[in-house]
Amino acid sequence: MKEGEVRGRVDEFGASGTTVGRPAPAAARTELMPSGFASPAQDWFEDRIDLNRHLVPDITSTYIVRVSGHAMEGAGISDGDELIVDRALRPRDGSVVIAVLDGELVIRRLRVASPDPGSGAGAVTLVAASAAYPDMPVPDPEDLVIWGVATRCLHRV
Amino acid sequence: MALVDVNNFYVSSERAFDPSLEGKPLVVLSNNDGCVITRSAEAKALGIPMGAPWFQIAEQAKAWGLQARSSNYELYGDMSARVMEVLGRHTTDLEIYSIDEAFLTLGGTHREQRTTGRTIKQTVQRNTGLPVCVGIAPTKTLAKLANRWAKGNTRLDGVCHWELIPAGQREALLRRLKVTDIWGVGARSAARLNALGIDSAWDLTQADPVVIRKKFSVVLMRTVLELQGTPCITSNESTGNEQVMFSRSFAHPVSTPEAMRQALSVYAQGAASRLARKDLQGRVLTAFAGTSPFSTGTRSSPSICIPLPVHTADPLELTRAAHGLLPLIEEGVSYIRAGVIITDLQPVGTQDSLLNLELGSGDDADPEGGRAGAKDTGPLLHEISRRFGRSSIGLGHAGLRAGSEWTMKRDMLSPHYTTKWADLPVVKA
Repeated sequence: MKEGEVRGRVDEFGASGTTVGRPAPAAARTELMPSGFASPAQDWFEDRIDLNRHLVPDITSTYIVRVSGHAMEGAGISDGDELIVDRALRPRDGSVVIAVLDGELVIRRLRVASPDPGSGAGAVTLVAASAAYPDMPVPDPEDLVIWGVATRCLHRV
Repeated sequence: MALVDVNNFYVSSERAFDPSLEGKPLVVLSNNDGCVITRSAEAKALGIPMGAPWFQIAEQAKAWGLQARSSNYELYGDMSARVMEVLGRHTTDLEIYSIDEAFLTLGGTHREQRTTGRTIKQTVQRNTGLPVCVGIAPTKTLAKLANRWAKGNTRLDGVCHWELIPAGQREALLRRLKVTDIWGVGARSAARLNALGIDSAWDLTQADPVVIRKKFSVVLMRTVLELQGTPCITSNESTGNEQVMFSRSFAHPVSTPEAMRQALSVYAQGAASRLARKDLQGRVLTAFAGTSPFSTGTRSSPSICIPLPVHTADPLELTRAAHGLLPLIEEGVSYIRAGVIITDLQPVGTQDSLLNLELGSGDDADPEGGRAGAKDTGPLLHEISRRFGRSSIGLGHAGLRAGSEWTMKRDMLSPHYTTKWADLPVVKA
């Protein structure tokens, strides 16, 4: 399943986040308690799920971008979707990355071939997730600017 | 003590989301697209002076390949907050000095401090895309100098520790700099210092602090002591929490008290909102307006300083106080700017407030109800404008969107990439 493929990778990155930037808002607890019998659930009250806490491991490095185009549809990333991007992550083989190409921000999957025993460097290619879009080999990986690594895709269902 | 600042902050923030601007001449314009307030290195190389009026260079911009942007305060504000958050993670004591610079207390040996400086530089660059320089020294004044050195010397790679530079080189640098290159030395003091034979920064370093205090001021004496390595500018004195200012130039001159009332309402509420965000209350409000210094008509710069009954951040109270300027506004005079400054600040909760009683909603309301109503207004307005946008609600005239001719002109504004859902950066798939 192609969508699951992205999600699996994404979780791996999500787990590598270090800092929770913003504390979840404290929910009012006992203040709102009606008089009479105490709620049997009060000792089990937990803060509600906070999407920021789960999707934004570091508020200083997390950005949201909007996708335009169809090259990544095979990876479950459609035209008009929003992506959560972490600029602090180190891109690896298989990462969905935002690369800077000719002054534009472009989304592709990063492929790094196993290092050549001679030079020690592996060939780097930016790959679309749709057959209609050709692979983009990166002649000099030193010159490749990766703007950030996508961690989640917000797709309207 | 380390001083960290962002290189060309506005330009760098624009480039962080629009890589096509990289390597191109770019200027950012002041309020109302009036004049150049930031230039990229390429724009400097074109010979565009700081403060150049945009209308004078707009025609040639195309031929030069020069790009211009209106000040995108929403973007700069968010990027600033990200930078400061990163800095805060590397120090126990962060003192924000301006939108793009802060002083940090660093522990450890000199070499450890330099290593921390390099980590800070890399982390800010990685997380925000913004380049910073770090100057480290025993005092703030020297940290400013070290920072300047880091900027001018590519070999240092953006991080300079004053104590790790050989003494001979430090002296040579100080001899090259004028006294006005030193943080806190103004042109007036400089002229008098020059008359005493104190010309270079080095001369000032060698001056006798006691003599300087006698002939000038305690402030300048502290600068001398700081140059000699004794820290004496404490955080309370140079902190950005001394005042909250909300001031703008108008897109079109304002020449009636009614229009000025509207502008002051908005600015007072803007100031209230800033106070609320910082959890501060103020005791003194200054409201001012001014005509253009180049005006051929009546010139006037009325201002009024109003002590508030108690420390407050309440927009109602601040708006009412700001309107105290209105009797000084003359019908028919063309004012081009106005503003509100709140001073004598203290954190919320330091002192009990009588304000709520005075703002009771009328004679017929019961005292308890009136009190609660007034007390809730500030946070409520703040919350509504946070959720539905800045123009969604306001007090009195600030709530009127129609007819606000004086709002800021920003014709070349980049998107609010990080603060508005409709403005997200677009990536090509």
